[in-house]
Amino acid sequence: MEELDVEPPLTLIPGVDSKSKQMCFAWAPGEMLVYETLFPKECAEKRPGCPNIFIVRKDKDVYSQTLRKLFSESHGIFVGLQRSEEELGGKSRKAQLVRVSKNYRSVIRACMEEMHQLAISTRDPELQCQHSTQVCILSAMELIWNLCEILFVEVAPAGHLLLHLLDWVRLHVCDVDSMVCEVLSSENPSKHKDFWNAVDIFVLQGRMDDARHLLSKEASANPTSMGMCKILDDLMKKMPILSIGNTQTLTEMELKWQHWHEECQRYLQDGTFSSNLHMESICKILLGDENAILEKKELMTTWYHFLVTRLVYSHPTVKPVELRFYAQSSLDLFLGGESSSEPLDSILMAAFEFEIHQVIKECSIALSNWWFVAHLTDLLDHCKLLQSHNLYFGSNMREFLLLEYASGLFSHHSLWQLGVDYFDHCPEYGKVYLELHIERIPLNTEQKALKVLRICEQRQMHEQVRSICKIMAMKAVRNNRLGSALSWSIRAKDAAFATLISDRFLKDYCERGSFSDLDLIDNLGPSMLLSDRLTFLGKYREFHRLYGEKRFSEAAKLLLMLMTAHIAPCSFWMTLLTDALPLLEQKEVIFSAEQTYELMRCLEDLTAGKTDNQKLQVDDVETTKVEILRLALARNLARAIVKEGTLEGS
Amino acid sequence: MVSVINTVDTSHEDMIHDAQMDYYGTRLATCSSDRSVKIFDVRNGGQILIADLRGHEGPVWQVAWAHPMYGNILASCSYDRKVIVWKEENGTWEKTYEYTGHDSSVNSVCWAPHDYGLILACGSSDGAISLLSYTGDGQWEIKKISNAHTIGCNAVSWAPAVVPGSLIDQPSGQKPNYIKRFASGGCDNLIKIWKEEDAQWKEEQKLEAHSDWVRDVAWAPSIGLPTSTIASCSQDGRVFIWTCDDASGNSWSPKLLHKFIDVVWHVSWSITANILAVSGGDNKVTLWKESDGLWVCISDVNKGQGAVSAITEGQQNEQ
Repeated sequence: MEELDVEPPLTLIPGVDSKSKQMCFAWAPGEMLVYETLFPKECAEKRPGCPNIFIVRKDKDVYSQTLRKLFSESHGIFVGLQRSEEELGGKSRKAQLVRVSKNYRSVIRACMEEMHQLAISTRDPELQCQHSTQVCILSAMELIWNLCEILFVEVAPAGHLLLHLLDWVRLHVCDVDSMVCEVLSSENPSKHKDFWNAVDIFVLQGRMDDARHLLSKEASANPTSMGMCKILDDLMKKMPILSIGNTQTLTEMELKWQHWHEECQRYLQDGTFSSNLHMESICKILLGDENAILEKKELMTTWYHFLVTRLVYSHPTVKPVELRFYAQSSLDLFLGGESSSEPLDSILMAAFEFEIHQVIKECSIALSNWWFVAHLTDLLDHCKLLQSHNLYFGSNMREFLLLEYASGLFSHHSLWQLGVDYFDHCPEYGKVYLELHIERIPLNTEQKALKVLRICEQRQMHEQVRSICKIMAMKAVRNNRLGSALSWSIRAKDAAFATLISDRFLKDYCERGSFSDLDLIDNLGPSMLLSDRLTFLGKYREFHRLYGEKRFSEAAKLLLMLMTAHIAPCSFWMTLLTDALPLLEQKEVIFSAEQTYELMRCLEDLTAGKTDNQKLQVDDVETTKVEILRLALARNLARAIVKEGTLEGS
Repeated sequence: MVSVINTVDTSHEDMIHDAQMDYYGTRLATCSSDRSVKIFDVRNGGQILIADLRGHEGPVWQVAWAHPMYGNILASCSYDRKVIVWKEENGTWEKTYEYTGHDSSVNSVCWAPHDYGLILACGSSDGAISLLSYTGDGQWEIKKISNAHTIGCNAVSWAPAVVPGSLIDQPSGQKPNYIKRFASGGCDNLIKIWKEEDAQWKEEQKLEAHSDWVRDVAWAPSIGLPTSTIASCSQDGRVFIWTCDDASGNSWSPKLLHKFIDVVWHVSWSITANILAVSGGDNKVTLWKESDGLWVCISDVNKGQGAVSAITEGQQNEQ
């Protein structure tokens, strides 16, 4: 398996005694706990060690304030890309993907700018250092991304390729403008110490017009060299360049270029510029003389600038596949064996060699969080550039990186919401990762719980829905918010819990004589059927409402039904019968004879059900209640019979 | 980049034996040879001592948080042969249950998946494993597996809850038929898998590969694949990854993760089971990832004096 021989990185934890103690750990959601301990677990004499628990995190970047913007804005681009039209064929699809790439890059640049502002405005040297480092890293990311865009997304063909690379170099490498400004704003530009440096760098970057402009300053200030300046100016003017939109073919371009090259050669050999070293060196550069170009190493600052300059003046119609040869030799020539290459160099080299996987691998190692590789890989995958065979960790590369990135987001108290969308677009493991992570979101507030719940409901994650509702219901019960607990258990479709809470409600009623959360109970609707106890609660409340509205016969019917249909638990019958008393005592006869017989039977069932032991323990209040009931029932029965007999009679 | 983001000073007066974050990463429970169990609120990088629980009469070996749906509940086990279940009631932490059914040190406690109810497995040096199930109203039902491991049981770990058959459309209110399983590791060099059948716990499998006491077992969380995975580590310095491909749980095959130079004490899976952390006598915590069938060390967390220095992440081929 192609692997890098890189040692796993070592992290030292301060304060832990390495000589006599060991280290243990525990996983936490998003973090890891590490602490000093001693194995085997013994009850040796007291050996106190370091009493600290260290909380260690892998992706601390997730918590960076400025990077936050990077994460949230790129999230929008990512989601847009996933949803974009794939049917658009060929050119328009490519244009779309290039647009996406540019969007990502502008987000990086915006973040860089912000970070830069922070760096220069802060007084704290440590913070300044941190921010500056971050700016460097972001800058490197943009550099790499831009190159990848040119080579892999834009897939610039020969001719255009060099133009894009030139733009790339001009944008990213060395700050020419400040030096030029200084030179131009001085009294005698051509006498400025950096004058020729400025001309050189313009030439090195193929900015002919700018170079000619500066050269004219020399011409006007120094009449003796006017002749040479004119010739050089002419050569620069005549240099054939391929511009985007230009319709000439590559062959035509190559021909023109060959002629021009020969003309430059003639002037050089004739010794036209021999009296002015600067101009002679420029002419050599125009001829693509490697040594001449290398002399300007300090100005170019990087080997990839050197590469592009070389190509401009020796092989402007370079094909993408030819880049790799020039890239390697450029690196070698530039470094000249003095310094070794850095991670950035390897990444860029891999890109020039069109080794996409290598680029991603190297970036994964060099960068501290998964943001860059996850998004870049996803984009490249959309460009259909990644082979589908299984790579490093079982699932395909794109998905692996997205999973890692999104998992990191979940350790943040609000960025986790972005993570959800990333998981959504991971077809193999996205769902299960989401399930495992979303359970760990602390449900501090009801709003947060509802938010998490909505996400789960939208994705048919029934287990998680149940779990969350149960947790919230339990919390509510512990805080004595029965109404909230009830609605959560209804949402969880948890019958057992609903029964439990209904019992609590009923118990409360018995103790206080009134219901709490009437609104909720009144509007239960079909969810009342979730549990028998809940149904009873709902119906019982209905009874109270009917009574309150003086719809006595309806109330009476309901009350009776609650017992005869066994909706009411036996333990509650006494209360119900006691509730019947006021109805029995009304002036008007409410319970019919038949209903009264039913009530009597219920009462007898209730008292007969008690064992002898229980009968003996029944206190006076109970006995009195029973007697009062019997009396009331008997009286009602009498009145009912009379009433019914009378009606039928007439 | 791995970096220390917070340091919690527990003020324990003696060796710390376990530290566990709760489900949400908001609270930290620690236990120590000083016989106490402490709970800290560690939100937003802070540390506030919420409780200092006393009740054990010997070093406390492990703590375990129950699932939040049951409230704030913590179990602890100790050399004093006791298992104590602590609960937060009205803002204060109190002992809610004490189990004294073991004849020697209780080494490990582990809560079952919340789907099964509130069930705690305890492994003891007396060789037995107890299962405590909460039945309501402060009552706990006890089931004991005597002689689970000769000489002693060092670790217990539950299998993730998986419902046999279809997970869709379980009629509400009806409890699905879970097949409950857990793994235990003992001084008989074995890892055993236990299954509940007809309300009894039976030994389903014996996994043999270690040549010395098994110190820890960890059953990996499920990521939806039909395979089951268990990690085990032992006095013999080896860490094995056991996998079983079929649902019937019959054929487990071990793969050696690594042979360490010293005893390996603790193994544990990350939430999504993609990283295994290993702690051993070589004074390091190493993190491992599976890569195309091979296990690869991805990070080394070492201890030592001096500044924290972390190099960026890398991969190394298994030798």
